Amino acid sequence: MLRLTIRSLLFQATLAIAYLRRYLVIFCCLTFSVSMFASSQAPASASDPGITVTTSSPEARELFAAGLARCQTLHLREGFQLWRKAAQVDPDFALVHILLSNFSPDPAERVSEREKALVARKHASVEEQLVIDWLSNSSTGHLVPAIQAMNTALEQNKNHKMVVWLAGMWLDEQHQWARAAQMYEQAIQLDPTFGDAWNSLAYCYARSGDYDKASAAMQRYMQLLPDQANPHDTYAEILLMAGKFDEAIAEYRTALKLDPGFVDSQRGIADTLSVMGEETRARKEYADAIARVNDKVEGVRWSLLVAITYVREGDLTAADTAFRNVAQQAHENGLGNVEAEAYRDMALYQRKNLAAGAALDQAEAAMGHNHRAPQSLRDAELASIMRTRVERAVQDGDLKLAANSLKPLEALSAGTIDGGIHLLYESAAGALALSQKKYDVAISHLSDNDADPLSLLHLLQAYEQSGRSTEAQSVATRLAALNAPTIDQAVIVPGFRKAQLAAKHASPGSGSR
Amino acid sequence: MSRNAIRLFTIITLAVCLGASCEAKHLAVIVEKNSSVGSLSSADLLKVFKFDRPKWPDGKNIILVMRDPSTPEMQTAINALYHMEPGAFRSLLASHNKTVIIATSEDDLLKSVAAIPGAVGLVDVYSITEHVKVVRIDGKLPLEQGYPLKGR
Repeated sequence: MLRLTIRSLLFQATLAIAYLRRYLVIFCCLTFSVSMFASSQAPASASDPGITVTTSSPEARELFAAGLARCQTLHLREGFQLWRKAAQVDPDFALVHILLSNFSPDPAERVSEREKALVARKHASVEEQLVIDWLSNSSTGHLVPAIQAMNTALEQNKNHKMVVWLAGMWLDEQHQWARAAQMYEQAIQLDPTFGDAWNSLAYCYARSGDYDKASAAMQRYMQLLPDQANPHDTYAEILLMAGKFDEAIAEYRTALKLDPGFVDSQRGIADTLSVMGEETRARKEYADAIARVNDKVEGVRWSLLVAITYVREGDLTAADTAFRNVAQQAHENGLGNVEAEAYRDMALYQRKNLAAGAALDQAEAAMGHNHRAPQSLRDAELASIMRTRVERAVQDGDLKLAANSLKPLEALSAGTIDGGIHLLYESAAGALALSQKKYDVAISHLSDNDADPLSLLHLLQAYEQSGRSTEAQSVATRLAALNAPTIDQAVIVPGFRKAQLAAKHASPGSGSR
Repeated sequence: MSRNAIRLFTIITLAVCLGASCEAKHLAVIVEKNSSVGSLSSADLLKVFKFDRPKWPDGKNIILVMRDPSTPEMQTAINALYHMEPGAFRSLLASHNKTVIIATSEDDLLKSVAAIPGAVGLVDVYSITEHVKVVRIDGKLPLEQGYPLKGR
């Protein structure tokens, strides 16, 4: 249910899915703040010092509390409204300002509320000031002071499960899975019934490739919420990541049994079938899910997944037709980013350079259409298109074009705090450096991206070429284990696995008995 | 079978025996909070960490604080900074044992750098606290685009 609510907030507010992950963090931070407030209302014990919530207005405190309660039950918009009222009643209410600045779906509000939080900071408690320093620095891209404030907050609140939990979520966002897992484990030690910590811990383990621990954590999470569909859906997602396809489908079916309206699980079955190579069955399940989903944007985006099934089958003509249909559908619905993504996806699997270039031109043209989308999302898609241009140029051996294509991406990346755009730049720069045989430079650029198949493939090659076999082995394992219903996975991973198998069969002593 | 095929097979065979963690590491160069050192060029950093420079500009002796060379942080440092084989790196440390402190933990390293005038350390950026100062390298802080000390 969590994902549905977040999606509703996200898509209706911004018409974009690219921020889904960010909003998952937002939700969890809201959960943090709810519990943080609850702690402030309860008598503090020696082992749970809590955090002081500073406001001079009883009305603002009540509104804050009511807002937190609404957020706790996933009525996020209502919660935000109550917080906004609390901030109006007490303009010096620093904590509510910083929470609004970090969690609001409105970019302008995020900026203005951050400024208000910094002005009101002097009225806040020491603990609140640390949270303000941490989150405000993070939101402005000043990560070093953000980390320093976070670690100081942890030093001072080491027995407060919600501060620990927030640190876990923040580290999760930074792709620091091992450190995030430590935080979640610490939160669980403080409260073994902390369901969201179990859930996030499972994801952390899965992202690190430790699926046994991920499964164990999910089992605990499901025990805590035995009648809910979402834990089964999440567990199924982890099983899919682990390559345990039959078990994943069984969990998705359990989720649907518990809540027949949980259409995400229907799509999850389709995702699993697609990654398994059962493309015809996958398309049928996708069609059912799309027919049932009560969200226009979601329906169009899931149609991209249908198109990917043709790529997996190697039927590139059908794939072209499907992607063009999605692009048209997206265009008619004013979803410029999705339209551009459809064309960009096409460029990834085209065998002819001209066709790839034409698809990328169409993707860029789609970004120029008069569609409503926040600038941040437009920049993110534009960066993806630029990255694909560099990758295609490298693939085609045109290093001059690759270098020229990298320049605007470098400029875009240098002018933003969006970590996703930074990663796209690093991936593209790494691909170019690899093609120029600058292996150490390539490794430096590619080391940050631990989930992108193409970057992992380049990183593997850079490690191999520089004779660093241990690192190459680790990257090869991660790449081969990627199971996701994405175009990148479809284009890279099955081929890589085939190469692995071929190498295995070609090795001495590997003949069949 | 080609050499590339053998190499790939070796990678694949060994890969199944290894963990799959691929997290990136950015190493922060840290000094005591009141240090006058705020930034270094890559070239100067190399001189400091290869023992080619014994004192800071303010006259304080430079003391290197590091984790054991076998830790992931130091593996990243050896690859990104020293470009040495582990054995050669250990020999380098052994020959400068009066100006090197091997910390037993990240916490130990942070406390040592915070407490010892002239100390400089390398630590995973996600461990830094407000008790130490982070030095810019070539004008960049860790996690900024173009920061040089990173790896896996």
